[in-house]
Amino acid sequence: MLTRPTTEQILRGIVDDLNATVAPALPDGPAKVAAGMMAQLLLGCAVRAAHEIAWIHEEIAAIESVVGAVPEAHGDSLHLDDVVRRYHAASEALAEAIDAAYGAGDSGRVETLRLLLEARNAHEMQIVGALDLVGRG
Amino acid sequence: MHNIDEMPARLAAFLAGEEPDWRDIRVTSYEVMTGGYSRLLAKAHVRHADGERVFVLRGDPPADQQLIHTDRAQEWDVLSAMHANGVRVSAPRYFDPTGERLGTRALVLDFCEAASLLPYLASTGDDEHHEAAGRLAEAAAAFHRVPLDHLPASLPRPASWDAYIGARIHEWKATSLAHVESLPILRFVAAWLDAHRPPPVPLSLIHGDFQSANLMRDADGTLVILDWELAQIGDPREDLGYFKAVAQAAPPDLTGLDAEAFCARYRELTGFTEEQLNPPVLAYFLILGVVGTVRQLLEGGASFARGDNRLLGSLFSMSSVQFGQMMWLQATRQLDQAPVAAPEA
Repeated sequence: MLTRPTTEQILRGIVDDLNATVAPALPDGPAKVAAGMMAQLLLGCAVRAAHEIAWIHEEIAAIESVVGAVPEAHGDSLHLDDVVRRYHAASEALAEAIDAAYGAGDSGRVETLRLLLEARNAHEMQIVGALDLVGRG
Repeated sequence: MHNIDEMPARLAAFLAGEEPDWRDIRVTSYEVMTGGYSRLLAKAHVRHADGERVFVLRGDPPADQQLIHTDRAQEWDVLSAMHANGVRVSAPRYFDPTGERLGTRALVLDFCEAASLLPYLASTGDDEHHEAAGRLAEAAAAFHRVPLDHLPASLPRPASWDAYIGARIHEWKATSLAHVESLPILRFVAAWLDAHRPPPVPLSLIHGDFQSANLMRDADGTLVILDWELAQIGDPREDLGYFKAVAQAAPPDLTGLDAEAFCARYRELTGFTEEQLNPPVLAYFLILGVVGTVRQLLEGGASFARGDNRLLGSLFSMSSVQFGQMMWLQATRQLDQAPVAAPEA
């Protein structure tokens, strides 16, 4: 299997061409807006291709360190569908822990769980990058 | 509506039916417009024996290409009510409620000569931004003050502020439970909002998508408000918070240039007390005010994940939700240090 250039590099190369060659040749209008959206989405895909599976495993471990073991979040397969299924289970355990902490009025626990969400969001923001609402206004 | 070969003749026939006194109607130009994600837009120049007009058509995309589902008839009713009550909007002129004549259910509005607000703000400085912030407070207050009995009967009337806010908060949790994957941030937001409810205010019409991209600036500085498809009756502070939320991704945030002054001007126009609207309350609604949009955007993304749609816009809009998560977390943390109300947790 050819692994270099990596998926991330390929996607970033496509974005460069989309921005430098395709978009300037398009008239202002829906096609140009679509090209702008595609470029941003592809950059997000590049980040996900490079880090998604690792980040998910890191987040699952962090969640379990706070809420306890989540058996459905364990497995050996690294195929994305399987990884995403385990992430969903861990995320749901986190969501239930949040409900329970607020229900119990446990502000310390709420703060601990919020830190998990902030770490998760830091990954999201690396995927989103600099958001440009192309086509608005 | 985006078939530029067919539409001039369709529109001319439509106008002939709506304006029987107009003779020799000709659509001299018809062009597709960008600017909105959810509906089709087009601009048409029309000439007839006695004059010339420029219209904007705003209609439904084909069913399988709709990012969000809203009712054109309700939008027409709301827009007409706003126009009748002196709120600055693109004047509604005609409506094709079935789509038989214009090819899709569509509103026909006067073209607004005002300038889009975002480019205006991008090309001006602090003085103009502060002036625009005052205009923003005035524009919001103008439609928030329209009495409920002047609004279309088709808009649901919540039983009370408590019931409404409770349902709005629950919408966060319901959105989480309905999504294709677990999103614990939504559960956190729901619990946090419930624990920090602000003082109530009278319910009013809310725009539902009140952001700079839906505002234009007239020659005298007055703001013209576009795109009423998400209007409903709710807490007017939701619009202010929504504006603030979107402005984090599309600056400047006119509500935050001088948040105290903005709130004071809005209170002056609406009669709200300082407890009902102040910068921390505004930040509370930065979170609460976006729930309707968040639900709709996530439904689009979920639909794509299930294979029910293939819309680029659905994918792109998910970025706004990701960006929003950062704002909600930051806002809850800041507000826990300057609370809206005493936290229960």
